[in-house]
Amino acid sequence: MAMRSQIYEWSNLAPLGAGATLQRRSTDLPVNIVTGTQLSIFTGGVGYNTTKPSETTATQFVVIEDIACTPDTGAAAKTANENGGAVQVRINTTEYFQNPDVTAMAGVTGLASPYPRGLAVTTPVASNLLKSFDLYPDVYVLPGQVWDILYTQQGATLSASSTACGVAVFVKYTLYDGPDALIANKLLELGITVNPANVDWYKRTLIEQQMGGGMA
Amino acid sequence: MAMRSQVYEFTALNAGAARDAQNSIFTGGAAFGTSITKPAETTATQFVVIEQVSSTGSTPATYAGGATGVQGYTQVRINTTEYFLKTDNIPNDGIPGAASPYPRTVAFQPSFNLYPDVYVLPGQVWDVLYVTRGPDNTVIPDVFVKYTLYDGPDALIANKLLELGISVSPANVDWYKRSLISAQSAPAPANGA
Repeated sequence: MAMRSQIYEWSNLAPLGAGATLQRRSTDLPVNIVTGTQLSIFTGGVGYNTTKPSETTATQFVVIEDIACTPDTGAAAKTANENGGAVQVRINTTEYFQNPDVTAMAGVTGLASPYPRGLAVTTPVASNLLKSFDLYPDVYVLPGQVWDILYTQQGATLSASSTACGVAVFVKYTLYDGPDALIANKLLELGITVNPANVDWYKRTLIEQQMGGGMA
Repeated sequence: MAMRSQVYEFTALNAGAARDAQNSIFTGGAAFGTSITKPAETTATQFVVIEQVSSTGSTPATYAGGATGVQGYTQVRINTTEYFLKTDNIPNDGIPGAASPYPRTVAFQPSFNLYPDVYVLPGQVWDVLYVTRGPDNTVIPDVFVKYTLYDGPDALIANKLLELGISVSPANVDWYKRSLISAQSAPAPANGA
C-alpha cells in the first residue's frame, strides 16, 4: 500500500479539565479558545492531538489535497455552526497562504472551505454552506520536511465545556511511501503534478520501456 | 459475472450501540447492529476493491451534544492492519461521517473521496470498523460500504494490473482484456518481413 488516502479531523474537544487528548470519547467537552488564537491541530495542546509533529521520513512524500474548517459567517447572533475560523498550512517554518504584500494571514477561511460541507448557516442567508475554494494545485510536503496545519479562531471566543462551542478542522492528504515516494519526487522534477494517476502513469511508462512496448 | 459492484449497509441496534466501542460492521454481533455470518474475506480467486465508506453525517458544532452530534468514524482494516493513521502513525478512528456522510443530503455533503481505493488481495481478511464519539441519543447510525468484487479470471487480471502499477478498476480490467485480445488476433508477421 504505497499510496494511501489519509484524513485527519481535529476538534476542540477533550475530557473535562484536560486541554488536549489523544483519544476521542463521547464525554469530551469543548476546550476554551480565545478569538484570534492560532494553534496547531496536531500538537497545539488543544482538543484532539497527536503524539508528535507531522513530518515525512526520507522515503515519504505527502500531498495535502483539502483543508476545511468550521466557518465564521460573521453573523451578529452566531449559531454554533458559524463560529469558526480559518486554516493555514505550514511547511517547516513557512506559511503557505500569504497576503499580496507577503505578510502573514490566517489562511483559508471556513467560509470558503467549510467543514462539513452543506452545514446550515444563517448568514448571509439562511442556507446550506458550500465550498468556494479548492486546494489546487495541491501542497507538497517533500521527504524530510515538517508540516503543520494551523487553525485560527476568528469568531467569538469558544467557551470551555459549553456543548455548543465545538469547532473542527478537516485535512485530506495522500501519503506516498517507498518506491511511490521516489516516483513522486521524479514527477516533481519533471514538473508533473503528483497524484495517484500520474504515479501510475509513470510506472506504466517504466514497464513499457523495459518490455519494449510489449505487455505480457 | 466476474466483476460485480457490491454494497453493504450497516444499521446500529440503537443510538448508543456504537458509542466509544469500535466494532466490526460485519461481525459486531446482534448487540451492535446488523451483522453477517462470518468475517469478510477473499478467496484465492477473488480480489476486492473498496471504493467508498460512509456513515451517518454529523455537525462538529454539536459533537459534544445535540441532534446531529452522532460523530461517527469508519475505519478499514486489512488482516490486522488499520488503513487510516494519524500523522504519528497511530491508527485513528477513521473517516468522519461529517466528511463522508451517508445518506448524502443538502446538509451533509462529502468532503472526502476514497481515492486511491483500498485493495483486498486474494486470501486476505478485511473489515470495516465503526465507532461513534458523540453523546447523541436520538439518531441510529448507519454505515455504507461500496466495493467491487473481481472473481475468477478478472481477479487474475486485477493482480496483473496491481503488479504493473495500474489502478484496478473495471475500465482498466476491460482495457487489459482488450489488449490481450488485440495481441492474439493481430496477424502474424510474414516470413522474411
